[in-house]
Amino acid sequence: MQPDPEQKPRNILPDCIIPALALIFILYYLTTITEVPWISQASAIVVSGLLLLSILAFIIRSAWRIRQHQETLRIEGTLRVLLGEGPLVAKRIALLILAIAYVWFIDGLGFTLTTFLFVFSGIILLSSRDNWKNALKVSLSCTIIGYFVFIYLFKTRFPEGLIEHWLKGVL
Amino acid sequence: MIPDLSLFFGLLGEILGYWWIIIPGTILGIVVGAIPGFSAANTIIILLPITLAMEPATGMIFMVALYTSSRLGAGIPAILVNIPGTAGAAATPLDGYPMAKAGRGQQALAISFVSSVSAGLITTIAAIILIPWLSQVAFHLHSVEMIVIMLFGISLIATISAEDKIKGLIAGLFGLMIGYIGADVVYEAPRGTFGFLELYDKVPLIPALVGLFAISEAFVVIERSTILSKQGEIDRQHSGWGPTFEGIRATFVHWKEVIWTSLLGLVIGVIPGAGAAIASFVAYQQSRLMSKTPELYGTGHIPGLIAPESANNGVTSGTLIPLLIIGVPGGATAAIMAVVLEYHGVNFGPDLFETQPLIAYGSFTAMLVTYVLLGLMILPLTRYFSHVMVVPTVYMVPVLIAFTLVGSFVPRAYVFDMGIAIIFGIIGYIARRTGYHVAAILIGVILGPLLENYFLRALRISQGDLSTLFSSNIGNTLWVLLVLSLIIPGLKRYRGKARAGKAK
Repeated sequence: MQPDPEQKPRNILPDCIIPALALIFILYYLTTITEVPWISQASAIVVSGLLLLSILAFIIRSAWRIRQHQETLRIEGTLRVLLGEGPLVAKRIALLILAIAYVWFIDGLGFTLTTFLFVFSGIILLSSRDNWKNALKVSLSCTIIGYFVFIYLFKTRFPEGLIEHWLKGVL
Repeated sequence: MIPDLSLFFGLLGEILGYWWIIIPGTILGIVVGAIPGFSAANTIIILLPITLAMEPATGMIFMVALYTSSRLGAGIPAILVNIPGTAGAAATPLDGYPMAKAGRGQQALAISFVSSVSAGLITTIAAIILIPWLSQVAFHLHSVEMIVIMLFGISLIATISAEDKIKGLIAGLFGLMIGYIGADVVYEAPRGTFGFLELYDKVPLIPALVGLFAISEAFVVIERSTILSKQGEIDRQHSGWGPTFEGIRATFVHWKEVIWTSLLGLVIGVIPGAGAAIASFVAYQQSRLMSKTPELYGTGHIPGLIAPESANNGVTSGTLIPLLIIGVPGGATAAIMAVVLEYHGVNFGPDLFETQPLIAYGSFTAMLVTYVLLGLMILPLTRYFSHVMVVPTVYMVPVLIAFTLVGSFVPRAYVFDMGIAIIFGIIGYIARRTGYHVAAILIGVILGPLLENYFLRALRISQGDLSTLFSSNIGNTLWVLLVLSLIIPGLKRYRGKARAGKAK
């Protein structure tokens, strides 16, 4: 296939992340099965072998395409492919940090308070501070509905904190 | 053991008298099925104090109604927001979500509901008639045959990654490797657990599902104002009841697809430990294989939605057969049903159909009634459910992330599982942005541990002899069919190209 001289070569560095993660995981996994009986190793070795072959095929194909100037390997532009452009980059990173904080604090603060804070700040983050009234309405209503449906009615095992313990005494 | 008509109609009348327990069970089932983490099995466990206090027949009818409707409910978020409610609905978004994004969410829901209800009715009637024969299926399918059945499901990886085979294989095999995390079933040796005790029992499925589908999708869709594509927004403005009727019509046009995929689900459901996820993946793969337009699968193609939805509802009646005939539950929910019935002193076996027909045949009759009720209740809701698609992402995304993360906490009550969901979310997001299919990773994560379990059992029984994989007639037949199903698409493509070349 002849490359189109008008077309810019596609940056494939972002495409290498999944194979790289897979490769690191295989190497780690194989170190954990050296001591186990061979029957326990068998299927993992077969699959990791096939995965290594697929990664090798990916590398060979990429190298060939780079030689043909269809693809390129650059750090520049990689973040744009992964996170988007403009304000989206900050929004995505901030939303991820919020989600991690949600998981971090939910064990201590409980479902109700943490969910309210997460949903409220998430909406503000994705829209604007001027939208605080709607953010308050949505976060309050979904937290209250969530509490009554899942914790109060169905007795679902949700992380509990101060509010849940207090409400247990009140209701 | 085949019931005569008078017994059937007598039972039907009796079961209809239980409407007061079927209706709440059905509504609850739809809700819990639609929320990741809240499976029918979990809900029945939560409600055990209530079901144990009921008469055995009443408890069984309630559990059947809840179980049946949860299967249908799981398809709703899979279609509308790309989040399967359970692993059994993991193949539903492959064509359901592209339809929804294109503004055909209402039609997709109607197709899902009609194919689910039709499949449920067909397989329940088939189960009642074929009980003596279907109960034998589990005796003939051992580890070797199950390995091949798993491989049928896994071969879907190659099918859905048609655009880029190498990337598809990397994603699927990476998923399989992740599925191998945890202690093995024979020696209990921990492998690839990163030192976390929480991973000894394998990677939990719900957090993996939530991360790969919900969290990653949430991070992708924030660049749009709604989930709908631009064309979808235009098309949706013209919607009324039309798309619902169009969906009903489209499903009946594909009636053959509904019948054979639902029967496939029934047979897979009879096999203990198989379940809806395998059935829906195998049905999707086989449907694509037999299609004259395989290239349309994954783009919002109607048979691609019908196949998994029919198959996973076909499983529902199948799982009850080994439970009632030999006392071996076909899945997690059936296992909990067994606990409830055993608590009441119910003895499983063929005699159950003579001594307690209200429990034995009544379970299937309750299923029939639930499916009819579901059809009547849920079809009118398609128009309103599809409004989810126009909720602005600024509101939907935070609510979706919060509730699906908590949903991944529910099955084991580990905050650790919420962390796993975030890690899978990051992997899924990178995969989506760089052209790797998240469904291929999920197939590996779901089927990997099952495949390995059967593989280890087969090797253990044969004392490490690999030739055991080709030691049974049924197994060898399945091997041949598997090889054919892998070769035929290539041959078709080759012949198509050859014809096109000749025409030129």
